[in-house]
Amino acid sequence: MSRRSKVVIFAVTALVSLAALAGYLWLGQTQFVGDEAQGQALFVLHCADCHENENSDLHKQPPKLEGLFRSKTLPSGAPATDAQVRKTIIEGRKTMPAFDQRLSEKDVDELVRYLHTLR
Amino acid sequence: MNLRKLKFTSVIILCAVSFVVMAASSQTRNKRYNLHGKVLGKNTATNEITVKHDDIPGFMPAMTMSFKIKNQAVVQELQPGDKIAADLVVPSDGSDYWLENVRITDQSGRQAARPTARPHMLAVGEPAPDPPLTNQDGNTVRLSDFKGKALLVTFIYTRCPMPNFCPRLSSQFARVHDALKKTPDDYRKTHLLTISFDPKYDTAPVLRKYGLAYLDNDASGFAHWDFAFTTPGDLRKLADAFGLEYFEEGNQISHTMNIVLISPDGTVARYWATEWTAVELEKALREQAGKATTAPPQNAARSR
Repeated sequence: MSRRSKVVIFAVTALVSLAALAGYLWLGQTQFVGDEAQGQALFVLHCADCHENENSDLHKQPPKLEGLFRSKTLPSGAPATDAQVRKTIIEGRKTMPAFDQRLSEKDVDELVRYLHTLR
Repeated sequence: MNLRKLKFTSVIILCAVSFVVMAASSQTRNKRYNLHGKVLGKNTATNEITVKHDDIPGFMPAMTMSFKIKNQAVVQELQPGDKIAADLVVPSDGSDYWLENVRITDQSGRQAARPTARPHMLAVGEPAPDPPLTNQDGNTVRLSDFKGKALLVTFIYTRCPMPNFCPRLSSQFARVHDALKKTPDDYRKTHLLTISFDPKYDTAPVLRKYGLAYLDNDASGFAHWDFAFTTPGDLRKLADAFGLEYFEEGNQISHTMNIVLISPDGTVARYWATEWTAVELEKALREQAGKATTAPPQNAARSR
């Protein structure tokens, strides 16, 4: 085996490894960790069905929640504060059901934290 | 190191690296949870099943929810009462979740879940029961108050979070209400009644707030659409009479979606379970309203 063949094989292996590492790091950046990952899963299970999917069977299409905390006010006109969003989740509002007793305090914390990440 | 050995080593390294990348990418994109539960219902049109599932450790407590299944054949195979095990897949990009690898672990519950277990369900033509109910204003109402009108009755609970269940029922009732409003004669000869099966939570003020959301904040609509609750005992009697199945489990209520049409003479005219549209309900109400032989009383028994 020539020295050149060895160099080529090592170079290819090194490049693939680097690409793999880069790919892993890139994916790692887009992945939520800890509470936010949990909040995201809770969001998909409890909120997205109404807020993200168009459902012509519903009386009113609920608002999209992207950028919820970027505005000073919520779609209802109330101030966009954690306390107000928590209240809405727990007590419900208009046709939105109350999630009282369905989500724990910790669940609501995680949901609110995740909602902050929606830009 | 000879060439063959080096090639072999390189292939092994490549395979290992590829495996790590694939495993990393699949794990970061989807979260998977083991789900065990019992099928309560299914919708073959939307490929969804409703499952009363056990606790999912580290993720969510036991509750009843709707889940999509991508393989339609699986939805067709499943029957209410089946116990299943499945993988709950939650994509991390925020898109909708679904069930995969659904296995039926016990089919013995199929018989019990069939609607035959309704010994007291009224037949069409039988008089409807008449327990006292409390409406959104705190006033007592009875089904007999609406004699002379065609009455459409359904059951919900305001905390129900599944869009295809109570929110759909109330949304479609709102459509029926709005459509009838355009025809004053039919509006006068018809009435809607939504009864809660969560009297502990759905008090008169809660029901009033809920009703106003579906009446677009127009409280005059309550004269045509009542939202009421009753005692747990009377609720059970009404539910049995109309073939409604419901049970409380912790912080939520599992239930069937029944709609009953009561004719102006106070007898059961028709039932719907899952297959209906607002247009069909409206048409049936108008037809029944046309059967009223006398002008409906002006709700003399009801104080507002």
